[in-house]
Amino acid sequence: MSAATPSATQSTPAPSPPNASQEEKPALSTSEQAILEYLRARGHHDAEKAFLQEVTEGRSPDDKSKLEEIGKDEFLRSLAVYAGKASRPGENLLKDSGTVLQELQSMGNPSAIQNLISSIGAVGAEEDREEGFRELEAWVDGSLDMYRPEFRPILFPIFCHFYLDLIQKGFKEAALRFYSTFSESLSTSHSATLHHLSTLLLPAHVQNDDLAQRFMNEKYIIKMSRSGLSLLVGWLTEAFGGEAMGAGNGFSGEQGKRGRVAVMAVVNNHLSFQMTSTNPTTVSPSAWEESTGLLSSLIPQGTGAVSKLTNAQAFNQDRVLREQAVLDREPLQYDMQIARAVPPGLVAPAESELLPHPPAFKTIDIEREVSAVRDARKRIRLDPSALNNIDPNSPQATLQRARALPSICAYTLHDVTEGSPCMTFSQDTSLMAAGFAESYIRLWSLKGEKLKGFRSDFNASSVKDVATLQKIREKKGTTTRKLIGHSGPVYSVAFDPISGSAAPPKYLLSSSADATVRLWSMDTLTNIVAYRGHENPVWDVKWSPMGIYFATGSRDRTARLWSTDRTSCLRIYAGHLSDVDCVQFHPNSLYLATGSSDWTARLWDVQRGNCVRVFIGHQAPISCLAMSPDGRYMATAGEDLAINLWDLGSGKRVKKMMGHNSSIYSLSFSAESSLLVSGGADWTVRCWDVKGAGGLKAKSENGSSSEVGNRPGRGEGSQETIDLLSTFPTKRTPITNVQFTPRNLCLAGGVYLSPEQR
Amino acid sequence: MSKPVKQRPTQAPTGGVYKGDALKDLAESLNITIPDNVSSALASDVEYRIHQVVEEAARFMRHGRRTTMTTSDVDNALRVLNIEPLYGHTPYNPTTFRRALPFPQSTSAGPVYFVEDEEIDFDRVLREEKVTLPKGVTWTAHWLAVEGVQPLIPENPPAIPREAAPDPGGPLPDGTLATVVKTETPAQLNGISLPGASGANGKLTQQQQQQLVKQVLSRELQLYYARLTGSLLPPTTDFAKRTAALASLRSDAGLQALLPYLIRWVAEGVVGALKDGAHSESDGKVLEVLMDVVSAILENSALFVEPYLHQILPPVLSTLLHSSLPPSHATQLRTAAAQTLSRLLTQHSTTYPSLSPRIMKTLLLALISPGKNKGTREGAIRGLVGVGKEAVRKGLVEGGGAKVVASESQHSGSRESAALLNTAMEALQVLQPPPSDMTDALDHSNPADAAVISKLIDLVGEYFAARIANDSAWARELVGMGPSDSS
Repeated sequence: MSAATPSATQSTPAPSPPNASQEEKPALSTSEQAILEYLRARGHHDAEKAFLQEVTEGRSPDDKSKLEEIGKDEFLRSLAVYAGKASRPGENLLKDSGTVLQELQSMGNPSAIQNLISSIGAVGAEEDREEGFRELEAWVDGSLDMYRPEFRPILFPIFCHFYLDLIQKGFKEAALRFYSTFSESLSTSHSATLHHLSTLLLPAHVQNDDLAQRFMNEKYIIKMSRSGLSLLVGWLTEAFGGEAMGAGNGFSGEQGKRGRVAVMAVVNNHLSFQMTSTNPTTVSPSAWEESTGLLSSLIPQGTGAVSKLTNAQAFNQDRVLREQAVLDREPLQYDMQIARAVPPGLVAPAESELLPHPPAFKTIDIEREVSAVRDARKRIRLDPSALNNIDPNSPQATLQRARALPSICAYTLHDVTEGSPCMTFSQDTSLMAAGFAESYIRLWSLKGEKLKGFRSDFNASSVKDVATLQKIREKKGTTTRKLIGHSGPVYSVAFDPISGSAAPPKYLLSSSADATVRLWSMDTLTNIVAYRGHENPVWDVKWSPMGIYFATGSRDRTARLWSTDRTSCLRIYAGHLSDVDCVQFHPNSLYLATGSSDWTARLWDVQRGNCVRVFIGHQAPISCLAMSPDGRYMATAGEDLAINLWDLGSGKRVKKMMGHNSSIYSLSFSAESSLLVSGGADWTVRCWDVKGAGGLKAKSENGSSSEVGNRPGRGEGSQETIDLLSTFPTKRTPITNVQFTPRNLCLAGGVYLSPEQR
Repeated sequence: MSKPVKQRPTQAPTGGVYKGDALKDLAESLNITIPDNVSSALASDVEYRIHQVVEEAARFMRHGRRTTMTTSDVDNALRVLNIEPLYGHTPYNPTTFRRALPFPQSTSAGPVYFVEDEEIDFDRVLREEKVTLPKGVTWTAHWLAVEGVQPLIPENPPAIPREAAPDPGGPLPDGTLATVVKTETPAQLNGISLPGASGANGKLTQQQQQQLVKQVLSRELQLYYARLTGSLLPPTTDFAKRTAALASLRSDAGLQALLPYLIRWVAEGVVGALKDGAHSESDGKVLEVLMDVVSAILENSALFVEPYLHQILPPVLSTLLHSSLPPSHATQLRTAAAQTLSRLLTQHSTTYPSLSPRIMKTLLLALISPGKNKGTREGAIRGLVGVGKEAVRKGLVEGGGAKVVASESQHSGSRESAALLNTAMEALQVLQPPPSDMTDALDHSNPADAAVISKLIDLVGEYFAARIANDSAWARELVGMGPSDSS
């Protein structure tokens, strides 16, 4: 490596006026100085000028630390970053070469050496990476239509690794330039991740950031067909494949080669390809969501698992789910429809696998079941399939809509100062509860009855029967009560399901940012238990279908199972890599579903506490989820504004439903599991067909019937899938809760957003 | 032989919102000087930490079910990140940032943002009105959808019209309804546009809402309206049909939806008839029919007229007070209008206490103010009779209307003047006490009677005084002296 080596790029000729040679001097090396002085002494002014120009020209890229001219220390430092995984490379302890040699010798295992050697190739300047990425992008874009959807996903991980490498080496400016040049083409589908990465600016940040560490330590999994992979390998190793014109300084040029080497280093070290036998053209465009990404840490490892599963499908097929819980095996088998066929892949659970419940029936249990029968008889049947194959313009359609779509009653809160994160209705629709950001819960009687608690000044021995109990109720009461006890915003409230629709609920659970869950008695209208255990805000709390037990999800990345009669938790479900944002029991109370900010949803065996399913496919944190009453499906909604429908048995995504324009706050299935209702921040309630086929509206295919003309070209952001049956806008109310009553009336709740507040 | 060590160039603080300069300023304020590369590195780190906090705060915002981040979100985020929260910022009192223009010496630094430190004047605060406590959170319930159809009620946003759909505006009488719906695009409704609500909504929704608009005025009602106006208005059509139409209007229920259109139709008809002087016979007939329609509407007990009173009154008053009605119909029309006015007042003056004073004012102006036509005066007097006894007393006697009428028409001797004088006399008769058996004239010689007479002349003028003087009780009533005073 000598300074006189001409650079491959002549792109930046630094004009250096000859008379500035005095200023240039200090920057020149000793050998150059000597030559200059010799020339000057001899009076060769022209030669001196030419030499100086050449030197400075050769230097100018070198100022940006080009590969060839990297100083010794720089080189060592780069090495150190790669070699010193174990010895905290962020700290600059590998200053001298001796340490590096030591480090090299201490690393006995060949894989590490290999890693190191490959990384030596990758020790390159930012320009190589830029060039390499530009070429890769050009190659992907220039590839055949057949392969392009397959190749596009490669760009993102390589981009991330290049950016992180640049940051880690301290080339902040180069990294920012790299980011601004290339992030745009990727931002459509990865904007959240890209933004997060763009906030990392120093090597220390990369060391401490979770996502960056996951990129560094985990393999990024990409699905690819065999032929596609061989094309890629071919391009990486030597020049063949689609070469785009004008992409970089000649494909076979020196720099192009080094760029490809940099790409190859990332491919070798951080990517893992999964072979698929399917024809790349038949794969749906959103399929990559399920199988691409940093998956290895998302997929839980079974205890003592022999094979490291990297495939969510394989994991999900590993065990079968059990179906047919207590509810259905009770003697009160009343309806023919309920005796449904067990879906394939589900088997009946044994008694021992269920959560223990009190053995004896109480009066309220009988009443609940009786009212459940009554509800089932009076239920409004919603059958969205009736809308299929009907021209929406025909008069018939109006009639069918009434059969297919629910009636929705909207409850709007007014004059809320700071916001109400949650709302819920009791199953008998006698009570409504809302939690507020001001740390209190407000309870309303929807029937206009007065809410009366018990007086506190009574003699316990005088209470003998119901009549005397009634006497100690408060004389006065209002239709609303404030429940005070939390010391942080209340994020979730839930009424107990024991009394069903037969009677008002007896208990209310609430979870809050103060890391507690509180149980409120609806008799006394006071707080009776505070459950502590979570270390961070508790985002969600849900009762099990039979009451008594409940589950919570928290920012501390765990979900927990509790019993109302114990103040410590019974089970901890750990495995999510980020906040557990929402929880929901399976209707047979054997399983618990959780949705998390790590973009996955999981299904846990409640008793054993292990994860039995992982649902990968969302591209943003999951905000809410719902289980279908028939136990087959789960719907999750994420910040990517999509609702995914999952088949629990196979763990596969059934379809992706799109149409919301803003965050989705609540989901609910109708009692027949045929209709899904969602409410969100775009002030709408939307109805979705669960059984119908999904997919985006084809612009040309079914435009023949009546759609021609009234559909102008729509942007990427407002795509709707065809299973969106109906949209009901409110005036200015973000919908925080939607739920179905047992008779299939839909209740929606939200806070009116007065215009001047914003 | 490798090159001498070349450190990577010190990075000028590029990229990012937090500049190294800001950090240097901060350090200088603490009497620390830091080199460039340190400040830029620190700035990068500060920016990263800020992003960290913001990302955490965004979670709290999401779980708070909000789309705007508040200071409490940041507080909560700091708390869970184990950083001491920033005290003094509450969402109740959001901080407003002021922008100062860049310092002239160094424009490259960009504008400076600062929090305004408002000075509070205690005197002013104490003088200001006390803030009332908000009434607390309340709830309302409404049907967002009934069997899959969104009802058009005030709680729901208005239907979104189909884009660029040529609406067959024909069926509606005047298109008002159609235009109202069309102009209210969702963007205007909600202050901010519902993204995609107009174009992206499902076709189903649009169609359903289109349907709802039409349901407001059903086809049957539209047909009824067309038939009704058709049989009423060219007044040459046969009499039986018109009577039937008026009878239907008088008694049929379920016409509420048509009411605004009918009233508008009447108003336009009256304006049309009066505009060109209204001298022809046909105009008179038209006005007659229209007055019949108004009285029929008022008679119909199934109609809720009150919201439209202010629209009914102008045509009625115009008819009553117009200067030149066709002579063949004038008296009849004014009488009819006065009767309608009277009915309207008896029915609705209890709910609208301000109604009769307002009408009184209009009528008095027409009666007294100079330069009015005789027809107008006559109409005003008839109107006063319609309003009631007290109105007549106020207008003709106390307001001096009788004197004005007498002075204007006493000596002209035309037919109009005679009619006007007769009308005024009839109006004064309203004030006549129940006729007694013996009517004795006032006696000029009797000093008491003489006082009455002089006062009477004072009030109504000589012409009317002479005619009234024949009945002493009447005169006394007018003057305001009961018979007891005379004795």
